[in-house]
This record gives sequence, structure tokens and C-alpha cells, in this order.
Amino acid sequence: MTPETISALSLSIRVAVLATVLNALVGVPIAYLLARRRFPGRALVDLLTTLPLVLPPTVTGYYLIVLLGRRGWLGGPLYQATGWSIAFTWYAAVVAATVMALPLLVRTARAAFESVDRDLERAAYTLGRSELRTALEVTLPLARNGILAGLVLAFARALGEFGATIMLAGNIPGRTATVPLAIYTAVQTGEDATALLLVAILTVLSCLVIVASNRLGARAT
Amino acid sequence: MSHRLDVTLALEVPGFDLDATWSSEGGVAVLFGPSGAGKTLTLQCLAGLMRPRAGRIVIDGRVLFDSAAGVNVPAQARRVGYVFQGYALFPHLDVAGNVGFGLRDRPRAERTARVAATLDKLGLAGLERRLPRELSGGQRQRVALGRALAIDPALLLLDEPLSALDAPLRRALRNELRALLSEVGTAAVVVTHDFAEAYRLADRIVVYDRGRVVQSAPRTELLWQPASEAVARIMGIPNVLHGTVIKSAPDRIQVLWRGHVLEAVNSPRHAYLPPPEAPIAFFVRPEYVRLIRKDRVAGDPQHHMNRMLGTVVADEDFGTTYTLRLRLDTPGPPAQGDHDLEVEVPHLVYEILDIEHDRHWEFSIHRGSIHVLPV
Repeated sequence: MTPETISALSLSIRVAVLATVLNALVGVPIAYLLARRRFPGRALVDLLTTLPLVLPPTVTGYYLIVLLGRRGWLGGPLYQATGWSIAFTWYAAVVAATVMALPLLVRTARAAFESVDRDLERAAYTLGRSELRTALEVTLPLARNGILAGLVLAFARALGEFGATIMLAGNIPGRTATVPLAIYTAVQTGEDATALLLVAILTVLSCLVIVASNRLGARAT
Repeated sequence: MSHRLDVTLALEVPGFDLDATWSSEGGVAVLFGPSGAGKTLTLQCLAGLMRPRAGRIVIDGRVLFDSAAGVNVPAQARRVGYVFQGYALFPHLDVAGNVGFGLRDRPRAERTARVAATLDKLGLAGLERRLPRELSGGQRQRVALGRALAIDPALLLLDEPLSALDAPLRRALRNELRALLSEVGTAAVVVTHDFAEAYRLADRIVVYDRGRVVQSAPRTELLWQPASEAVARIMGIPNVLHGTVIKSAPDRIQVLWRGHVLEAVNSPRHAYLPPPEAPIAFFVRPEYVRLIRKDRVAGDPQHHMNRMLGTVVADEDFGTTYTLRLRLDTPGPPAQGDHDLEVEVPHLVYEILDIEHDRHWEFSIHRGSIHVLPV
């Protein structure tokens, strides 16, 4: 294995793990709120967290540049203040993977929350539990398998992310070239052996993900 | 302790409009009525899970909700034990975890002791480590009850507590529940759509119909004196009939029905004095119609009053009793479709009198068994 191959693999794992953790921290609360609360802007949150599933990844990547790039709405002021921009760093790959994976987690976790019998939460309220403690002690444990299945899907999606990543992070070997980008480069430059190896690794990982998600789905019932 | 409960609620949800007022002097109040009448919604308001638009809820002088004064005690602070329809046991917690759920903020020793005492009282000792899915229906019901009782509630709410059970178990647990509720002594509100269950459990029955309270009375008063024809129909009383007043006095009413002059006792609590010719509704309980035996000569003519002749046009076997449909010999259309009266006789009587083959009978109704209904 070349240093580029090893770096692509370790980068991809790092990006996918971090994106999955961010999904758990951000996506699970969003899924709970969408499932259980009526609040202003709810429809907008629902739309924004579903959009990356429907839009072409390059379009999502374009929006991320508009938002986070050196002249972006958020990225511009940050660059002015610190001289640092997230664009073309490996953090950008994490952001792109997180955003692209979010719809899968939010939709799966939301369905899991919605399938929890509301009378269980009502019972907890009459027994003195606040809404937050009820969510943590009753709703979350009962939705656990659905949420884990969503995280597995999110991990898989993050691992395979290509379009939004190349827009925001670029394809810099050794720095932002994740496995899917490295496969693209290898095929373009005729390095068939490298391409085949990376393809095989991604295929095996994807198969494991499917098995894991099926097991979780079966236990959820 | 009296455990007086006063409830006034107004609440509009899409397609439904609840406007209910009733009181209970403690003991068990049963909310009875068809499904969709607003009974469960009332429980949710009592528990603080649903906020009424207007109204007042007071238990033992403690105000839980008062829209005029801006009081709305949250569900968490009401100390109201709620047994849900289907029980809503936490499937990821064992029996001890479920029963102790409302005690998590108490010191560990007190919690353990209370859980043990509650399980003991409900006959659940030894099942502490079982999960709800490993319990029988009756055990689940008791765990749900134990979970609600463990918090020492000021008020206990039970939504269709027996409807998830099989019929034989339901009857056994009905008696068990009745005994338990009187032993605990907490004021309780029970929701049911089954009149037998309502009557067995209740001290007071509150009859709901389409979001309104149509009658609230001690259970025996309701049984013999429904406030209206509508209440009698909700209770499922057979033989609700219509006649015309001939004359009325505080103790007696004479009614013309299907060509017969019927003598009826006036309601002891509300002496109705409708004018002659006025339409009047009344009901006759099927088990109070007497068939007159042909093989015996009637002695005292006073023994049989309101005598009529008719034919059995249909009978239904209910195992221990038969329900006969009688059609009077009098000309004119029958009062209830193809028949005039439903009559219930025990199996033994059906066999002795050979009703299967002998279909034409004379029968009588005692004046005390004809119950007039207010218009």
C-alpha cells in the first residue's frame, strides 16, 4: 500500500467516525423535536434536514461553499477575523460528510421516536418526570435500536461521501482525499491495483454495515 | 377523609367539544358512556396531561386547575396516579423498576421499602425482576395499579382498567379491583363503556354522551331512575317504550300502551305529573316480566296485574338465560320492530314451561317494574 492509500483509509475512517458522532449529537435532538414537538420553523427544519437526501451532492457542496467558504456568509467573517478558512481542510470533509449523512439519521431516528407509545411518556409525567428526563429515561432507551440503525446508515453514507466533499474540501492527496476521492484519482491516472484494493475495502465495509443494520432492525421489533 | 372531587371542564379539540361538570364525595366515581364521549379526555385533564380551555378541578380543597385564577398545576406535581388503557408499562424496566419509577427522587432505602410493600399488597412479590412482556394480563394490570399507587396519589385514575383482559379474568379482577379500591381508600375515577363493570366498581356513576354529562347519580339511583330516555338507551336498557298518559298522581301513573292500560308506580324521588294525553316513555326490565303458568289457577287476582297475551316470535339462548321476543295479540304495529317486549327467563323455566314448543302465553308486569322516564 502506498502512503496515499493508507492516508486515504485513515482519513476516511476519521471523517466517518467524527461525522457519525456529530450526527448523534445534532441529529438525535433534531429527530426528537420533529417527532414530539410543535414549534415555529418546524417545517423549515424538516425541509433543511431532508434536502441533502434529494439534492445532487454537488449542489449541497455548493451551498456549503456559499456558507463556509472564504467569502461565505459564515466563512467570510471568520476568515477576516482569523485568516483561517475551513475550505480545503480535512474538517471540511467532516462537515460535508455530516451534512450528507444527517437526513438518513434524522429520518430513521424520528421514525423510532414516533413509534414509542405516547402513553409511556404521559405515564412518566404523572410519575413526576420532566419532559427532558422522560426523553432520556423512557423515549431514548425505547428508540435506541432505531437510532443505532440510523447511526450505522449515517456512518456508511459518510464513508462513501464524494460530491459535497470534493466541492468543499477538494481532492488533495494526503490531506483531504478520502477513499472515494482516492478511487476516482486512481482510476483517472490508471493505477488499477490501488483502485481495486480501495474498492474491495469499501465493498466489504458496506456489506458489514448492511448486516449490522439488519440485525438492529430485527431487534427493534 | 372525604376526598371530595369537583370537576368543571370546557375543552374544544378538532371535531369534538367537551363541556362537563360533576362532583364526587369520594369513593369511586365511574365515567360511563359510549366511546368517543369524552371520558378519556376528562381523565387527561384531571391528570394535567391535557389543558382545558376553561374550568376548575379541585380535590380535597386543593386546586389543581382554575382557569379564572390562572392556576394550572403541572402533571408532575399533581400526585395523580394514572392507570392507562393497555397499562403503558415501561417495557425496558422490570416490575420493581416500573413500580419504583415514581419514587426515584426518594432515598434508596425508602424506595426499596415502598416498592416491596406495594408488590406485597398486590400479590406481586417474587416477580420483581420480570419484564412486562413476561407477565400475564392480570399481573400487568396489577403492576400498572401498583406503579400508580406507589406515589401515594391524592387521586387515582383508571382508563378501561379491565378491557385488555379475557372475559373470565375480567370478572374475577372486577371484584378484586373493587375490593382493592375500597381498601386503599383513595378517591378514584374509572372510565368504562361496560355498564356491568361501571355498576360493580362505582359508588357514583357519571354518564357521558357526546362531550356532555347527561346524569350523575349514586349507582342504584341510576339503575332504577335514569334521568332520561337517552340515558336509558346509553345504559343499554331493553324495552324502552312509549305510551300515552291516562291519569297521573304522585304515587301512580296510568299509561295507555299498545291497547292496554298499564298501572305504574310513579318515581319515588321525582313524582312526575304529566297531563292526560301527554306522551310518556317508560322501561320494563326483561327479567321482571312474568309468564303466567297455564297449569295453575291464579289465586289472588291482585297477584297478577297488567296482564297481556302474546306470542314468542324469537328466542336467543345465552347459556344460562333465554331472551324471548314477545309480540302482543293486540292489533297494530309492534313497539320494537318485529316484537313488543323482550323477556328474560332462566334456562330452567324455559325447559319446565316447554317454551320451545309452547309459544302463546299470558304474562304480567308488576306496577313496580314499570319505570316511567321524564320527558
